[in-house]
Order: sequence, then structure tokens, then C-alpha cells
Amino acid sequence: MASLRDIRKHIKSVKNIKQITYAMKMVSAARIKKAQTAILCSRPFAIRMEGLISDLYGELDGEEFKKSRAYALFAERPRAGTRALVLVAGDKGLCGSFNSNLLKAAAVWLKENRCEKIKVVCVGRKSRDFIKRLKGLDLEIAYEMVGIFPKAGYVHAELLTGKILELFSGPEVRGVSLIYNEFKSMLSQRVVQTELLPLRHNLPAAAEGGKLKDFSFEPERRPLLEALLPRYVGAQVYRVLLESQAAELAARMNAMEAASKNASELIDGLTLRLNKMRQTMITTELSEIVSGAEALGG
Amino acid sequence: MAHKLLLTILTPEKSFLTDKEVDFVTLPAFGGEMGILPGHISLVTQLKEGILTYKDGHKKELFAVLSGFAEVNRNSVLVLAEEAELAKEINEESARQAYQKAKDALAMRGKDLDLDAAQAALRRAVVRLKISELKKKYKS
Repeated sequence: MASLRDIRKHIKSVKNIKQITYAMKMVSAARIKKAQTAILCSRPFAIRMEGLISDLYGELDGEEFKKSRAYALFAERPRAGTRALVLVAGDKGLCGSFNSNLLKAAAVWLKENRCEKIKVVCVGRKSRDFIKRLKGLDLEIAYEMVGIFPKAGYVHAELLTGKILELFSGPEVRGVSLIYNEFKSMLSQRVVQTELLPLRHNLPAAAEGGKLKDFSFEPERRPLLEALLPRYVGAQVYRVLLESQAAELAARMNAMEAASKNASELIDGLTLRLNKMRQTMITTELSEIVSGAEALGG
Repeated sequence: MAHKLLLTILTPEKSFLTDKEVDFVTLPAFGGEMGILPGHISLVTQLKEGILTYKDGHKKELFAVLSGFAEVNRNSVLVLAEEAELAKEINEESARQAYQKAKDALAMRGKDLDLDAAQAALRRAVVRLKISELKKKYKS
């Protein structure tokens, strides 16, 4: 049976842990505000960008478009044998099931595509470690980016986009998939798996046909679209990074809140036990004294 | 006819202006600087890094923008830039220091160096420096 001292020690260590988890929760709570604002701020840009691209895309007729370099980003490549995966996870643990759910989804994806050659772009330390641990698959880490959270900026997205487009420019890569955590709300995150490239043809069609009819373009439409599309991809990647960042913080906040709560419960239980034990000890001591006195007096 | 332009400047990280009424805008367009007055023909253009100015009455503001796009549609001017900054908020000295620091970090190649962050910092610093040079040129 644990002695009083053991229980006191136990309580102290739990208290220390609780302090840490509570501090981590507060830090995440402070950062998440910023992460959410970043998402909100990136939204108008992305919307207007998409509008501009779909207008421009609608303007180009098929023949002219097929000649352009931008077409390569749209074309399906059924015969290519390599797939690329962009895996966006966190850098640190202690955030509940944030990373493990994501890595589970990644494992499923890898299993589905195991007969093909796979190139992986890792974002976040956890995803890199996960990929490095895997054996027996035709895997290659094309690029890794660690340590960017929670300060992911557009520069990171740009760097990443550059690498992704470089990867995709090779004719052997069939498509680029993306697995990341979406920030649904403060309480829930969702693992999302989408195809980043080739770009889908279902860009929102221009609202009114020929909206750009009387527009002049500088440079010509084709180079303009060619310059715009990588940035469009960049904006998407940026959004994904921000979502994942916010989701990680939210997950950590919840996990740490739960941990603090558990620690409090544990402390309560232990304190109760401590007090009970103390009381029993006092009672036994008292009864010993009383019986001793009686024996003497009797 | 309206006598004002509605200027919007957006970057992925921040919205600088939304539908601000201005009299006159110059854009650092792909083929050279472009002045936009109300009633300008609609156009879409690519921007290169440079100085964007706008005039609102007697007030004149300088913006440094970094490669992006601009769309002029009727009397609204939409600027989508990768990065933009109010020119007066850029401090040349701190930019230079940041540049040096990033360069040193890359040159040392320490074991725990975060390469991406260092490269990103370097790029940012280069941009700042370029902008501050542009600003000087613009003033003189």
C-alpha cells in the first residue's frame, strides 16, 4: 500500500503535468485566433483569383488553349506510372488524433496505389518521419518541409508550389494528390483527400459569357493564363497550409484541455485518498493512545 | 460618368484596400508603368515588382507590389499581388540586416538549420531591399 509520502509525490507530479498541459492549451488558444484571421484574410484573394482565372479560361478557345503550356496542368495522363502525394501533417505531437488520423488516411492511400511508383512531398515533421519509417514500398521523398508551423506564410506556399509544379512537369507523373486536415470548427477537424493536379476542368464557369470581351490584355491571353495558373495552385496550397495549421492548433487545444481536465480529476481522487489515509492514521493513533491510557489507568 | 476609381489591393496574407475611392492609379505593368484614370478601357495585365501609386485628392500613397495581376473593369481596379506593402512602412536598414542574417545562416549551414525558413527569409529580405531601392529611385 502506498504511503502518504508516495501519494503526495504522485499529486505533485500530476500537478506539474497539469501546469504544462494547461500552458500548452493557452498557447494554442492564443495562436488559433491568428491562424483563423489568416484564413479569413486569404479568402478574398483566392476568390478573386479564381474568378479572374475562370474568366480568362472561358475566353480562350480550345485550340489555342491546347497549344499553351498551361494545358499541361489540365491534361489527364492516363499512361504515366508515377503518382505524387503531398502530405500535410503537423510538426509536433500532443494534439490528439490530429496526426494519427492523417497518417492513417495516408497509409490507406499508399496501400491503394502501392503498385505504382510514388513520390511524396512531406510537410511537417510527423509526415516525414512516417514516410521514412515505411518499408517495402516504391517510395521516394521528393521534397520535405519541416518546422514551418505555426508560422506558415505565403512564402512557404510558394516554395512548396514550385516544387510541386516541378514534380508535375515531368511527363511520368500522373497526378498530385493532397492529404491534409481541414479546419472545420474549433471542435472538429476532418481529413481531406483531394486531387491537386491535374487541374479539373470544372473551374466555375464564367458568370456571364464573354465578360472579358472588350478587355485588352497585356501580355496576350495565353501567357497571362500561363502565369496565372501556377499562382492559382499556389493560392490553393497556401489555403491548405493555413487550414492544416489552424486544425492542428484546434486539435492541440482540445487535447490539452482534456488532459488538464483529466489531471484535475486525478488530483481530486488522489487528494481524497490522501485525506482518508491521513484520517485513518489519526484514528488508529488516537485509539492506541486511548487504549494505552485505559490500560495504565485500569 | 463616375469620376472616381474603386481600388482594391489584395494579397494572400492581407487585404490592403477594398473598394477605396481614388482619383488616379499607376500600376507597374508588365510592359511598363501604366496610369489608370476613371473611364479607362477594361484590361487585365500582369504586374512586375515595382511601385504602385494612387492619388486621392491631394493625398498620394505609394505601395510596393511584387509580381501579381491587375484587372481594370469599368471603374474598379483590382490588384492581386503576391506581396504588397506600404512603401513608408519598409525600413531599409532592418531589411539589410535581415538579409545579412539570412545569408549568414545559409552560409554556415549549421546542423539544425531550417533550410526552408532561411531561404524564405532571404527571399523576403531581397524583396525588401529591392523595394527600398525602388523607393529611393522613385523619390529622386
